[in-house]
Amino acid sequence: MSQDLAQIELDIRNILAGFLKNPPALTGDTDLINDLSLESIQIMEFVVEVEDHYDIAIDLESLSNVHTISQLAAVVARNQS
Amino acid sequence: MNLLSKFDEVAATRRHLSQAGQDPTDVEMERILSATEAVIQGRRTILAGTNNYLGLTFDPDCIAAGQAALEAEGTGTTGSRMANGNYQGHKALERELAAFYAVDHAMVFSTGYAANLGTLSALLEPGDCVMLDADAHASLYDGCRMSGADVYRFKHNDVESLEKRMRRLEDRASRTLIITEGLYSILGDRAPLAEFAEVKRRYGAYLFVDEAHSLGIYGDHGRGLAEAAGVEDDVDFIVGTFSKSLGSTGGFCVSRHDVVKLFRYASRPYIFTASPCPSVVATTRTALRLLQQRPELRAQLWRNARSLYDGLAGLGLTLGPDVSPVVGVRFDDRDKALGTWHRLLDAGIYTNLIAPPASPDGSSLLRVSTSAAHSAAQVEAIVEAFKTVLAR
Repeated sequence: MSQDLAQIELDIRNILAGFLKNPPALTGDTDLINDLSLESIQIMEFVVEVEDHYDIAIDLESLSNVHTISQLAAVVARNQS
Repeated sequence: MNLLSKFDEVAATRRHLSQAGQDPTDVEMERILSATEAVIQGRRTILAGTNNYLGLTFDPDCIAAGQAALEAEGTGTTGSRMANGNYQGHKALERELAAFYAVDHAMVFSTGYAANLGTLSALLEPGDCVMLDADAHASLYDGCRMSGADVYRFKHNDVESLEKRMRRLEDRASRTLIITEGLYSILGDRAPLAEFAEVKRRYGAYLFVDEAHSLGIYGDHGRGLAEAAGVEDDVDFIVGTFSKSLGSTGGFCVSRHDVVKLFRYASRPYIFTASPCPSVVATTRTALRLLQQRPELRAQLWRNARSLYDGLAGLGLTLGPDVSPVVGVRFDDRDKALGTWHRLLDAGIYTNLIAPPASPDGSSLLRVSTSAAHSAAQVEAIVEAFKTVLAR
């Protein structure tokens, strides 16, 4: 993993931890739905926070195969480039 | 895990909803008595969960027009307008819609869902961008997905959230369609259309407003929220439905842009489906005329809306932010909302249960709607039933 991607993943974990009431231990493999039981509306709000943090816009299609924090970090990295 | 396993979760949810008796998603109205009453479970019930805002479903003129069309033109068209021809009513309805909105172009679809799907899939293509309000109706999401455009969501009714995302698109802004609704159908809140129009102008984008729930309700002429907000000239495409204020079924798109003429050749939901049947077109045309000739219906609707909202607010309930013909009553959890829905039905009041994932913000709520056809006594009875049921 590149330095940049590792930093993005760390940032996302921090954003997510602030978003959850009682955050469990979060890793790159944490699944947003299966591990955290986030509803679709919560995922949308979380993604909006991530977008605003990086000042990017992520299209819905790019999110369609995102399940884990590392996968979201990869999408953010692509949108930054 | 097999092909059918994906339905296990749905089946479990359905079982849960049915535990206390009637499944809220499968209510049978055994007899429709009027625009505001039906017999449900053998009981005379006030309908407080419809979209019959102007109460026109039993209007004598609409019924007579439908009956005359049935006699004169038969039960159905048996095919699409492209392949099997236009009935004169289709063309007349489009002319009347265009005149009503004072634009050059109108296109009629067989349902409101098809109107959104058909307009968006014809208008957009891969490479175009969409800014979509997060709480937009499923038909808007589906239309965008069908088009292949890049879809970006902004926070519901949040001008700053939209503006930030428009800025991030940079030179793609001029290929962007901003999509919002007028009145939102669950919480009864309105889009900040004047502010959205300002963002659209600043970035040179296009604005699409779904007025499904606001046609006949807002504006001096009942054209919807764009009229009420004074931004009709900024709205590029208005889509709406006949199945709410007009008490019929079908949908439409109106616009000043000439390309709408070409949508007929590019819109699969328009081309590959049967056209609206003559009786439906006839009742719709009559209802559209009554909407314009009888502004007192809109005034009565608003009196009832204010009375319902104030009555429910007076009970200490948590409601949506705006007074409108739709009132969203929030509950702490799904079971409380479900229990209240059942007890209201037992008390002769039909409302709509809205629970996750169908609710706009993940909450559980009851959607209560009013109609111009509700009497003051019926509105009082709705409020009184809430008071009695929640006191138990």
